[in-house]
Amino acid sequence: MTTATDPRPATGPATDPHPATGPVADETRVTTYQAAQGEALVEEMRRDASVFCMGQDLRMGGFFGGTRGMVEEFGHERVLDTSITEAFMVGCAAGAAMTGMRPVVQMGFADFSLIAGDEIFQKLGKWRHMHGGQFELPAVIVMPIGPSGGAGPEHSGSMEMLGMHFPGLKVVVPSDPWDAKALLKAAVRDPNPVLYYPSKQLDWIRGPVSTDPDEIIPLGQAAVRRRGTTATVITYGCMTRRALEAAEALAGEGVDLEVVDLRTLVPLDLDTVTASVLRTHRALIVHEAPRTAGPGAEIAAAVQERCFWHLDAPIMRLGAVDAPVPASRHLEQHCFPSVADITEAARRLARI
Amino acid sequence: MAPRKRRPTGVPADPGLLLGLFTTVARARALEDALAVHIRDHGFAGFWHPGKGQEGAVAGACAALRTDDYLFYQGRGATWPLAKGMGLQPIIGDLLGRVTGSTGGKGAGVPHWADPALGIMGEGATLGSVYPIAAGAALSAKMRGTDQVALADFGDGTSHRGTFHETLIQAASWKLPLVYFCENNGLAVSTRFEDVSPTPNVADRAGAYGIPGVVVDGQDAVEVHRVTAEAVERARAGEGPTLIEAKVTRVGGHWEGDAQQYRPDDFLKDYRDPLEILRAYLGDAHAETADKIVADAAAEVAEELLRAEAADLPDPEIITKDVFV
Repeated sequence: MTTATDPRPATGPATDPHPATGPVADETRVTTYQAAQGEALVEEMRRDASVFCMGQDLRMGGFFGGTRGMVEEFGHERVLDTSITEAFMVGCAAGAAMTGMRPVVQMGFADFSLIAGDEIFQKLGKWRHMHGGQFELPAVIVMPIGPSGGAGPEHSGSMEMLGMHFPGLKVVVPSDPWDAKALLKAAVRDPNPVLYYPSKQLDWIRGPVSTDPDEIIPLGQAAVRRRGTTATVITYGCMTRRALEAAEALAGEGVDLEVVDLRTLVPLDLDTVTASVLRTHRALIVHEAPRTAGPGAEIAAAVQERCFWHLDAPIMRLGAVDAPVPASRHLEQHCFPSVADITEAARRLARI
Repeated sequence: MAPRKRRPTGVPADPGLLLGLFTTVARARALEDALAVHIRDHGFAGFWHPGKGQEGAVAGACAALRTDDYLFYQGRGATWPLAKGMGLQPIIGDLLGRVTGSTGGKGAGVPHWADPALGIMGEGATLGSVYPIAAGAALSAKMRGTDQVALADFGDGTSHRGTFHETLIQAASWKLPLVYFCENNGLAVSTRFEDVSPTPNVADRAGAYGIPGVVVDGQDAVEVHRVTAEAVERARAGEGPTLIEAKVTRVGGHWEGDAQQYRPDDFLKDYRDPLEILRAYLGDAHAETADKIVADAAAEVAEELLRAEAADLPDPEIITKDVFV
């Protein structure tokens, strides 16, 4: 049995340039998660004339305020309001991307990705490959996931696993303002199509962001947010904060959780994940997406393939309940793993 | 069925243009005929949708584009890439799944020919998906300040897709340099256009978007060239999209080998061979030249077909290449 008193020490260098203690860069400023995304977009549009954004209600600031003030700076030519035409927006981005532009499509809600399913999964994801690698498609599709206080079953989806399943798409889910900004900038600069899924539950979370316009986080690097020895919590997006809260709650009980924030699901940084699990010998995966066939299923399978003989307990998963998210705000909050759920699961895992 | 010779009045008989169109249609026809024989004798790894009978519309429209204009074609026949400047080997190589194809044999069967340097931007096989993509290329040209035009080619069947409407309403509002080019052969696989369309023409819908809609005899390459050149000029001038509908005849089945039991006996009654129409335009003065073009095209296609057959199949390693840059 492995516990916090396990004599095997945690080994290996931390891979995170700005771990849970917060960024160490000199030039930082505090802002919200969604404002950080707006900053990233503005800075990238200033840097590169081929970057533009397109979506619904952008001129008034977008659904979540991230683009407020952008028309004044960049004009209507680079801040394009569309009508309710998701398939057009994404298909148009694909065509613009393959001819030298870098579109950023703001899609209101991740649920709408299904309306533009052909355009996202078959065109952005496949065009380069099916035409013999002759095209680059540097487009970013921003699709907020999760509940936002009564948005209802068709506006609360967490469907980032679709991006994992369809080859050719990179998938980003930032967990704090710093990452929201630096990962969006990396997404804009990436020559591949990137699906960027901010978690709506984090919209008003405040935290430091870099003021260095060239601060990016390369896609494919997970971060160890907290060092621990009892078990590794593998998570991303809004569940990262809850996992950290659970870890603090358990610290007095001799359960010492390590928390790995994946940051991107494609590419998936399995090296950081498995290095952590090889130290702690236990793994708990937590995500906002429904549990069945969610990202946790893939991650659990990959971890056991790499770490089976080093595991002291079965890999556990926590995800949203397998039901549509009701519009009721009262019911909504019971759909997703809470800090208490994570704490309880980690306790059970530690006892095995 | 003997083609009816006809030379419309009022059409300038530019010999260079006519010979160019005739050459394109002759080469495309030679390819269609050779492929039909090849598929009959050897089978085919995929689905070939023959474009025989529709070559004139395609050649006429494509001749109105510059090399740097963007072409998004649909998957019937091979005239579009041929007319836009692609060599026969890259076309046939992809059809037979060989490394000599434009995609290295990856886009074979249902071919995905592409060559960005020639403005050949590829195909989406979920038909009707190229409308917004072509609009994106047009938007890009406009934003970059070039005077490039994008052409979206499609059939009457996909003119009913939601993307047709989504794109046209936005592209017309934004006055994008976009040409919608419909090859209306009256059949979506077996479904007749008149059974599923409330209006007799696709182009009738143009008014709803505040853009011009033009119906043209798609078997007459010269007429198609004339109306497409007008649409391209309009697009280049920043006046927005045009919806062109070329009435064509699908001489063959939906796929090569299709028994076509859904077809009435007289389905070719209105068909006039686009190659023969062009031959009539050229007149007696160019009869010998025309004959030589036809003979050369057949010989060239036969040679390239043999070359493609002898070429290697791609290494399976290419399956995992080109997923990401």
